[in-house]
Amino acid sequence: MADDETDDIETIEDLRKSFWYGSRSNLSFKYLKDLSDAEFGDFLDELLTEVSSMIDSGDPTGVIDTAYRWQIQAYAGHLGGPNDFPHRFDDVPINPLPKPLSECRVTLLTSSGHFVEGDDPKPFGVESMTQAEAEARIGEFLKEAPSLSSIPIDIDPADLRVRHGGYPTDAVRADHQVGFPIGHLADLAADGVIGALNPTAYSFVGAASQVRLKRKVAPEWADRLSSDGTTDVVFLVPL
Amino acid sequence: MGHVQRAIEEAGLPTVSIYVRAFGHIPELMGLSRSLITRHPMGRTLGAPGDGKRQRAVVEAALALLDSSSQTIVEFDETYRTGSDR
Repeated sequence: MADDETDDIETIEDLRKSFWYGSRSNLSFKYLKDLSDAEFGDFLDELLTEVSSMIDSGDPTGVIDTAYRWQIQAYAGHLGGPNDFPHRFDDVPINPLPKPLSECRVTLLTSSGHFVEGDDPKPFGVESMTQAEAEARIGEFLKEAPSLSSIPIDIDPADLRVRHGGYPTDAVRADHQVGFPIGHLADLAADGVIGALNPTAYSFVGAASQVRLKRKVAPEWADRLSSDGTTDVVFLVPL
Repeated sequence: MGHVQRAIEEAGLPTVSIYVRAFGHIPELMGLSRSLITRHPMGRTLGAPGDGKRQRAVVEAALALLDSSSQTIVEFDETYRTGSDR
C-alpha cells in the first residue's frame, strides 16, 4: 500500500476524536473522545438499535437516554483519578440564609455565556464572534480570564445573545431559560417565594482559565456582590 | 463555576448551584455548599426548551436547598423529557 493511501485511513480513534473540536465537531457528543474504541462500538450499537426502534415508534426516549447514559459514563472519567483533579478542596465554605428566603434579594449568575446585543464582551477583541469561531478557539478561551456581562432582568429576550465554545448552545438559544432562568426567578419573586430578584443578572463564559478565575476573577466578583448592597443570595447556573 | 461559588461563600453570601448529572461529581470534589443535580443532558440544565413547568420546578428545588446550613448535594429525581413527553 502506498504511503499516501495509508495516510488517508481514519482509525476508530481518529473518528472518536473528530467530534471533539475536530472535523465533525459536535459539542453534544464531544465526550466520544473519552471512550475506548470498544466502548465506542457499544455506544454505536445501542444508539443504532434505539434509532431503529424510533423509526417505528416515533418515540425518541431511547435515543435520548442512550446519549445521556454514555455522556455520564464518559464524563465520570474525564477528571481522572481523585488525585488528578487540580481543583479539589477538603473544606466547604458555606453561609446560612441571613433571613427567610421570602425576604432575600437573589442575584442570578450563570456561566452560560449570555450577553446583551450591543454589549458584546468581544473575546480577543473580536466583534460579533460567531459560535463556530468560539468553538474553533476553545483552546485560547481556556487560557484567558473570563469577563462578566451584566444583563438587565427585564431585557427583551430578542436582545439576549449567547456564545460559548464549551457546551451545545442550541437548547439555550431556543429557550434562554434552559440555562438563564430570569423569568422563572422573577415569577418566584412575584409569588413571594423569594424576596426580590436583583435587577441585574450576570453571565460569563465558563470555559476559561480556571487558575485565573480562582486566584483573581472569582474573588473580585464575590467582593462586588457582597459589598454593592444588591444581594443576599446568589443563584448559580453552571453550563 | 465551582471557584465562583466557593469565592462568593468565602465573601459571606449563601449560594446554590445547579449541575447536570455529567458534572454531578464536581460539587463534592470542589467542596461546594449547595448543589442540585439534574438528570438532564449537558446544555439542558433546567430542562428542555419550552418546558417551563420543569424549568421552574428545578429552580424551586434548588432554592429549597438554601434552608440547609451544611453541605447539601441533592439529585432532582426526574428524567429529561421532550415535547412529546409533556
